[in-house]
Amino acid sequence: MIEAKELRAGYGDGADILHGVSLNAHAREIVTILGPNGCGKSTLLKTIAGYVIPRAGQVLIDGMDAGHIPIQRKVRHNRVGYVPQTDNVFGTLTVAENLRLGAALLPRAERTARFEELLAAYPALAGKLNRKASALSGGERQVLSLVRALMPRPQILLLDEPSAGLSPLMMHEVFDAIAEVRDKHDLCILMVEQNAFEALGVADRAYVLALGKVALTAPAKDLLKDPAMRQLYLGGEIEAA
Amino acid sequence: MFQFFSDALLRAADLALIAVALSAVYSLIRFPNVALVQYAVVGAFLAISLQSAGLGLVAAAALSTLAVGALAVLFNLAIFERLLKVESSIALIGSLALSMILSAVFLLVYGPTAYRLQLPVLAPIRLMGVRLTTWQLWTLGLSVVVLALFALLLLRTRLGAEMRAVATNAPLAAATGIETRRVTNIVVFLSGMMAAIGGITLALRGSVSIDMGTNLLLPVFAAAILGGLGNALSAIVGAIVIALAETVITNTNLGPLMGEAVWFLPASYAPVASFAILVLFLLFRPRGLFVSEVTRV
Ligand SMILES: Nc1ncnc2c1ncn2[C@@H]1O[C@H](COP(=O)(O)OP(=O)(O)OP(=O)(O)O)[C@@H](O)[C@H]1O
Ligand SMILES: [Mg+2]
Repeated sequence: MIEAKELRAGYGDGADILHGVSLNAHAREIVTILGPNGCGKSTLLKTIAGYVIPRAGQVLIDGMDAGHIPIQRKVRHNRVGYVPQTDNVFGTLTVAENLRLGAALLPRAERTARFEELLAAYPALAGKLNRKASALSGGERQVLSLVRALMPRPQILLLDEPSAGLSPLMMHEVFDAIAEVRDKHDLCILMVEQNAFEALGVADRAYVLALGKVALTAPAKDLLKDPAMRQLYLGGEIEAA
Repeated sequence: MFQFFSDALLRAADLALIAVALSAVYSLIRFPNVALVQYAVVGAFLAISLQSAGLGLVAAAALSTLAVGALAVLFNLAIFERLLKVESSIALIGSLALSMILSAVFLLVYGPTAYRLQLPVLAPIRLMGVRLTTWQLWTLGLSVVVLALFALLLLRTRLGAEMRAVATNAPLAAATGIETRRVTNIVVFLSGMMAAIGGITLALRGSVSIDMGTNLLLPVFAAAILGGLGNALSAIVGAIVIALAETVITNTNLGPLMGEAVWFLPASYAPVASFAILVLFLLFRPRGLFVSEVTRV
């Protein structure tokens, strides 16, 4: 469904941040990307999304080269959804306006139904439709950004730390929601995460990135079980959990 | 008293159109396009030329408005998009340069004389002791309608939501499937049209000469900054404040101060008001009337 082949990318005239990253994710699958701060996770997602043009290598969507297709065209024509790590809602717009912009990509006849459907599924937003998004809590914003991305029924969803800043309860809700959309709508989800333990709980497979390279890839279950891997990549505190 | 307010209102309407245009474009491309005041002059001159070429008044005004909108897009594609890739301060200098070039072109084509639109003479109207020409009422009405339409577009339509989305967060707007470049150029087109209408309303009430743009620059900028650059609709309030201030300082009898019975500041000193207010605001409320602290998130 989505595949990166030997991707090399960086910003401006700067050095490569990604040094030949290859990965893939299929329909009905959550693939999580883990790794330390600054190793290039967000850059990888931005390159796949189309914000950063790859210097070498390929981004394939359904086998077609999509490395040079800018994000807005991927969203419109390839049914890709992307939620950035920061600034992921339109603060000056109301919650309803944020969601309607997402729904605007659907045929006119379907918009209202889709809007109602997702509001019913995420009642936290329903009571705050006329609030400015900047007046939401961090967790509510995270939910809003996810629902906004789900509005146009994407088939590929790129999520950059969807659980950042969420309370444990909220985090589980968001991960449950992500697992649910995978199962219900056959979504292919590529998700960068810091909360490795929880992310591996819902993910099917994981890639661990280090210094702009894939250091390791394994089914999520195996990674959770492997004590050496836990120690190395997931931090010591996971031991206790 | 009413005469005072009607003077201020007429002035505010002229300034508001151009200030709103300036602010709207600023919200998307993050540099104040100084050349916008010259677009107003292009609009006025073009309408005058089209009229003298035989077109009716309405047709000349409409055609000129559309042409200036198109010209604004052309300049944006040919000049500003490129300069913005370097830096916004370079784009600002580019817009200054464009202003000067446009001034030079006006001088070349029209020379230093003042021009007027050919207007049928209409009887003046008395309203609560205020003497208004019919053309003053028409221009006021036109400005109010144009501003109201722009506000409706911005706040009530999908395109308006897209415009605000791009202004707030362009990369996220792209991730929402919005063609940010298209939206920006639509706003540039609308801003060119609004500036042209501003210039034409001035031409409907007086004469047009090549220094019109320079004279507009300061009050228009002051109005836009007062509203908080980038808050398009607040620029209307900024324009009203500037217009009131200008009217006050040119209509107050300063005789007692000057040791004479009656002494008024010459009208050419009106920009002093804009300048004083601008400096005060930049010192104490640099983000405009409505934002007292940083609320951007
Ligand atoms: N817009 C940018 N311009 C230049 N360099 C950047 C930019 N964004 C990120 N970088 C650099 O690229 C490297 C990787 O950044 P990236 O954001 O991909 O890391 P990350 O793995 O997502 O980190 P985190 O876990 O903190 O989000 C860092 O060294 C960073 O300084
Ligand atoms: Mg990151």
